[in-house]
Formats: sequence, structure tokens, C-alpha cells
Amino acid sequence: MLKDVTFGQYYPGKSLLHRTDPRIKLLILIEYLVFVLIASTELAMAATLLFTVFLVSVSGVRFGILIKSVKPLLFVLIFTAIINLFFTSGEGDPLFAWKFIKIYENGIRNAVFMLLRLVSLVLGTSVIVSFTTSPLQLTDAIESLLGPLKRIKVPVHEFAMMMSIALRFIPTLIEETNKIISAQKARCADFESGNVINRLKALIPILIPLFVSAVRRAEELADAMECRCYHGGEGRTKLKVMKAKAGDYIFLLVVTLVTVAIFFLDRITWSEAIGFCRDIFSK
Amino acid sequence: MSFIEARGIGFAYSPEEEKVINGIDLKIEKGSYVAILGHNGCGKSTLAKLLCGILLPTEGQILVDGLDTADDSLAFDIRKKCGMVFQNPDNQLVASIVEEDIAFAPENLGLPREEIRARVDAALKTVGMEEYADHATYKLSGGQKQRIAIAGILAMSPECIVFDEATAMLDPSGRKEIVAAMKRLNKEIGITVITITHYMNEAVEADRIIVMSGGEIIGDGRPEEIFSEVERLQSASLAVPQVTELLYLLEQDGHDLPRGILHAMDAADVLETYIGGHKNG
Repeated sequence: MLKDVTFGQYYPGKSLLHRTDPRIKLLILIEYLVFVLIASTELAMAATLLFTVFLVSVSGVRFGILIKSVKPLLFVLIFTAIINLFFTSGEGDPLFAWKFIKIYENGIRNAVFMLLRLVSLVLGTSVIVSFTTSPLQLTDAIESLLGPLKRIKVPVHEFAMMMSIALRFIPTLIEETNKIISAQKARCADFESGNVINRLKALIPILIPLFVSAVRRAEELADAMECRCYHGGEGRTKLKVMKAKAGDYIFLLVVTLVTVAIFFLDRITWSEAIGFCRDIFSK
Repeated sequence: MSFIEARGIGFAYSPEEEKVINGIDLKIEKGSYVAILGHNGCGKSTLAKLLCGILLPTEGQILVDGLDTADDSLAFDIRKKCGMVFQNPDNQLVASIVEEDIAFAPENLGLPREEIRARVDAALKTVGMEEYADHATYKLSGGQKQRIAIAGILAMSPECIVFDEATAMLDPSGRKEIVAAMKRLNKEIGITVITITHYMNEAVEADRIIVMSGGEIIGDGRPEEIFSEVERLQSASLAVPQVTELLYLLEQDGHDLPRGILHAMDAADVLETYIGGHKNG
């Protein structure tokens, strides 16, 4: 049940996105999120989708994995699409009306847009960051980007360390949860029947052993880290020093240009765009 | 001077509780391969943590290469000299990627990048996991994870590694991998290896065995010496290796067989000559 979670998993590789500096990738991600969320015209959405397809294709991540990453969200996707479809009221006559259900042209548009936006968000975030960046690189990047905050005594290193350990333990704890579920099932625990309250109550015998073992693991990990001379961020060096290359900056620049272009596309309509093209060709 | 020296140490987790370690004197020489044997709860894991300076003795003194573990200012130097591999491989890997995990200790030592790279590569080679450098740690088998944990300690280039039941959670093939790695570290690189175990077959590989019971040392010597005293081991709720037990039982039945045989092939030889002698005589 928990095996299919692809979130936060890293697939080693040598693609363009794997080689890009993780700090640049985080900045690219921010820009990407901005234009995916603002795109509201057909042109802007088309450009966004095109760019998402480009990102996915340069990530070198297998198609099956991408499908797997969207699959758990299927319910959310369908739900938002349906809500948008039925609850958007538009101008003019509804396209379809039956008793209180009315579907407007605007509703279909909103539903499709929301669907595309969500799928882009999931795929884009996955390929830019989680699939192509090892958790340690990611936390290093966050530590480096937030570096200036150290001056005002924000514990940036500790925060990054905590995050990387948390990410490292996700698969371990998932495995453990599955084991506990099996163990409790073998003792006739019932997780599937009853109302919501009963089902929530059934989680207690899973959560308590999980917490106990997590605390025990934490203690052992602390000992192991101490044994390996860990003494905080001071005087620590890195195996992999992040060094943004010219190519990384060019990538960032390209994405910035794409963002600006999408901003621009979002302001104009089809007729304006066609007129604009005609102007260029007639000159 | 011995590499590790314990002088009359005692330890209790809290003043009200019973002592887990009770007046132990111990000297471990540099480059030796020592197994500490004992049944569950005899204090052997506690002793291991004391020897590395993770715990401090409540009585007595422990010197690691002449440095007192009780001195807080020396803690860093002691940890650098004496690494420890724990029982659960999952709980000692810090990073998700193999080489990033191995780099953890040298990074903490503040070494330059090239040096870290060299140490990571050398450590990976020593444990025979070069091709796994960029693999995710959670996908490895138990034995492989434990080898990565060993490499993580090796990258610190310690003089001594303590294995605290490092094979207890592994399957037989994983156990073999780790025991082979221990032997190699000791014989080829000259690292002092202290292994804590309750598997007799592992203890047999060591040059010296220390038997513990009730927080005290009840036996100390070469494997052949230790295992020839079957009664004493049984009093500490420890089993002897199967072949040793077989020969012991035969001896109890009145057969004249030597003691202290540890390996199946040796036992077969001994029995062959014994039976052959009877036929001729």
C-alpha cells in the first residue's frame, strides 16, 4: 500500500537535469511554479505544457515512474475536475442542463485547465527536484541558498541536517510501517471495516510501535553520528562542492525568459496573437 | 603500551540500578583481533560503548592509545582513533546515497575535498563495493548496508574498529561477508578489530577471545584454550562450536580425543586417525 509512493525518491542518472546545480534547480522550480499557476489562457497553458514535456524529456526518468507518480493523485485530479465542471457558472446558456445540474463552457475550460495544471505541477516538481536530485544535494542547496540567514543566528545547518536525515529515513519507516501492519493483521487487527472513527482508532496500534521504534532509531543514529566525529556544522567540509557552471546559468536564464514569455502570452488573446503574427508577416 | 587499557572499570546506567560492568581490567594490543563473547545482557555491548568513549565508566579509567575517555577535550581524538559499527545497519547510515554516507566522517573531520574523495574510494574498494558508489542505500541488502557502514568508519582511518554485534541482524551470507571484511581489515590493513558477538563461529576467527558473564570477565585466551573448557562456557550459558561439542561428548563417553578443535575439517582428521588407530590396534 505504501510501496507505490514515489514522492521524495531519487533515481540516479546522468541527464541534463541530474547534472544541473541543485541551487539553480531550486530557483528554476520557483519560476516553474509561478508560471504554471499564472497560466490562464490557452496560449500560456500550451507553452507551459510544452515546457513541462521538455523538462520531462531531458530528465531521463522512465515513463512508467512518471505514471506511478501521478497515479496516487488520480482521485484528487478527478475530484477537482468534477468540482470545476459542475460548479463554475458562466455567461450565456448552459451547454447542458438537467434539473439543477448545469454545465457551462467555462466549466469545461476550468476543469481541463485545473487538470493540466495539477498534472504539470506534480510532474514538473518531480523531475526538476525529487527524481533528479539526491536528498543530500537538495538539503545542501537549501543550506547554501539560506546561508545568509546564518548571520542572524538562524540554525540553517541544523535545519538542513534534520531534513536530510528525515528524507533518508522515509523508505526505512515506510518499510517498518508495512511490517507493523502485517504483524497487527496477523493478530486479527481490522483496519478496513467500521466507520471513520473506528478506522482512525485502528491506526493507534500501528502508530505507537512506529513512534517507539523511531525514537530508538534516533538514539542509535545519534550514537553512530557521534562515533563518526559529528560535531555540528562548524569546520565541516563537503565531498561534493556545488559549483554552478556557465551552462547552469544559461539554463536559469532560459527558464526566466520562458517565464517572461508566458507572462506575456497570458495577457493576450487568440485574435491579438493572430493579428500580431499577421503584422510581422506583412512587414 | 597497550592500545586500549581498562583499569578496574565499573558501570551502571543509573546509581540505583545494578552494575552492568563490574570491575573489569583489560588490555588490548594494537593490531590484535579480539572477540568478546557472552550471552544476552552480560554487559558486552556496554563494554563496547565504554571502550569507544560513547559511555563513560562510573568507576575506574579507560585509556585509548593513552588518552583518557573521561576527558571531554580528548573525545574528538578518541573517536577518530576508535570507530564503531552497530548492530542495525539502517540506524547508522546518515545519507541516502552510498558515497555521500561514507563521506560523512571525513567531512566532519574537515578534510580537503580531494582527500575525502580518495578516502571514500579507498574505503569502498576495501569493502568491495566500488560499483555501488552512487546507489541508494535503502535498496541494498543487509550485508551490503553493513559493509557500507564499515566503509563509513574506515574513511575516518581509525586504528581500531569495534563491531557491536554487527552480524546479528544479517542472514548467513551477509554474516560471512562481514566476518571476511573483519579479517581483511585486521590482517591486511592492520586495524585492531574488537568484535562483540554471541556466534561461536565468528569468535573462532579471532586471535583472542574474552568471555563475559554478569558484567565480569570469566575467560580470556586463544580460541583453542577457551573452547577446550566446555564446562566453563556452559556455565556462562554459551554454547561451544558444534564440532567442539561433538568431540567433548565423545570424550565424556570415554574416548581419548584432543580438546580445542574448532573447525569441521580438523575434527574430521582427528576422528579419522582415531578410528583408523582403533582398527589397526
